[in-house]
Amino acid sequence: MANNGGTPTTPPPATTAQIPTNNEKKPDGGVDAFGRAVARIAVAQICEGAGFQSCQQSALEALADIAVRYLRDLGKAAHYYAGLAGRTECNAFDVIHAMEDMFAAQGFVGASDVISHSVSGSGTVREIMQYTNRAEEIPFARPVPRFPVVKKRELLPTFLQMKETPPHQHIPPWLPAFPDSHTYKSTPVWNERKTDPRMAKMEQARQRRKAERSLVSLQQRLASASGSSSLGLAMETDGKGKNSSPSPNPNPNNPFLAPPVGPEEKQVSPVKIPPVLSRPALKLPSVLEAFAPAIDAVKQGLDQVEELDGRRKNPRGSQALSDERPLVQFKFDFGKKAQMAAHATGALRNETPLSSWFSRDEEMDDKKRRVEQILKEAMENPQDLVQL
Amino acid sequence: MAESKPDDDAVLIEFLSSLMDYTPTIPDELAEYYLSKSGFQCPDVRIIRMVSIATQKFIAEIASDALQLCKARQSAVNKEKRDKQQKDKSLVLTTEDLSLALREYGVNMKRQEYFADNPSAGTNPTSKDE
Repeated sequence: MANNGGTPTTPPPATTAQIPTNNEKKPDGGVDAFGRAVARIAVAQICEGAGFQSCQQSALEALADIAVRYLRDLGKAAHYYAGLAGRTECNAFDVIHAMEDMFAAQGFVGASDVISHSVSGSGTVREIMQYTNRAEEIPFARPVPRFPVVKKRELLPTFLQMKETPPHQHIPPWLPAFPDSHTYKSTPVWNERKTDPRMAKMEQARQRRKAERSLVSLQQRLASASGSSSLGLAMETDGKGKNSSPSPNPNPNNPFLAPPVGPEEKQVSPVKIPPVLSRPALKLPSVLEAFAPAIDAVKQGLDQVEELDGRRKNPRGSQALSDERPLVQFKFDFGKKAQMAAHATGALRNETPLSSWFSRDEEMDDKKRRVEQILKEAMENPQDLVQL
Repeated sequence: MAESKPDDDAVLIEFLSSLMDYTPTIPDELAEYYLSKSGFQCPDVRIIRMVSIATQKFIAEIASDALQLCKARQSAVNKEKRDKQQKDKSLVLTTEDLSLALREYGVNMKRQEYFADNPSAGTNPTSKDE
């Protein structure tokens, strides 16, 4: 705003070219800076109206200062006259009196005509009227906001304004009303459901179905593993030595590529059955039979179950097989202990491929881990039965 | 003069009401601000406008006096050097003219002895008024 001091005047010639630089040096009057800047513009406009083409910065400053002082003096005098009349608000007559005081420096205008002594007919008023008629009307160059900006404090509405009655007797109604009770009372916070309960239920059902399916496939693999456990062992022992495969094998030395040997083809040394297991308790239901209800439950909709069902329908075969081969005793445990135990006991060697299979699966799917746990828990019961 | 009194009042009332349409150069906001600083209190815009018109008149009179002084000085200078007539035609409100004009209105404004109006005042003596 301060730089606008000289702008309303015509483009300054060479003499006043340095007005803006001077302006920056000038110490601004602190709080009054805006008012003084506005006064400077107004004075510059008046000077322009008087006929000046440009003005020196110092002259403009001085004239603006004089204008402000004049305004304040006039106001002070008018206020004094209002106070003299016992009023706080000034009216036109106070201002006229004040103007007469201020104009007194130039002589008493209209004092020569002794007849008129009324305030309204005083010479100063006439002069002002003449001035307004004579001088051209130059409105201020730009809109001026009301200043100083005073923030009006917003008071809280009282009980009376709210048309409420105070909650207690001792509170007068002109006091500010209480805020709404919900703003200061504690209210319970409910857990907001992020998902639709119906969707959550559907998701749960889907996961359960998936788990059951993987459980069934696990059962199937388990059954096949137990069926060919001795076979795998046989392959390990002597598949390396001789290659009995008639098929066109690209690498005859690789035992893993050799076709499987039938259960009767290979002579396997009979394994001594431990006395605990040779008891009639052997007739207890096998793992497959223990899981029969579970398999039945998921039988529908799963094509793998068909195969499994076929096996289950002919349990005699596997039972007959179990008489000849070593009984597989599963001892499941949780966590690392299970692995340790599996490695420690040589009798459980055929569990190692199972566990490795498990670990591979664990990497594949997290859900399978849950399945494994379910299986472990399920396997606990038959084992207990066996040991009893 | 019983008849002149109501006439003066009517004129004053008419003048005050005419002020509603008159916009003085000194904005109402400025006048109001400085008047309220001096204790003046009035809700009527016309009264405030009357005050600002009085101020405007005061300043305009000073300015016109200064202008007359400026013109007189320029004509005096131009009489001496007629060749530079075209160059010094521009009317500039200078502190010297202003202080001379203000003396009539009871304001004593003295130019500082070594007061430089702008930084180039000393370096560029041709632009400086004598």
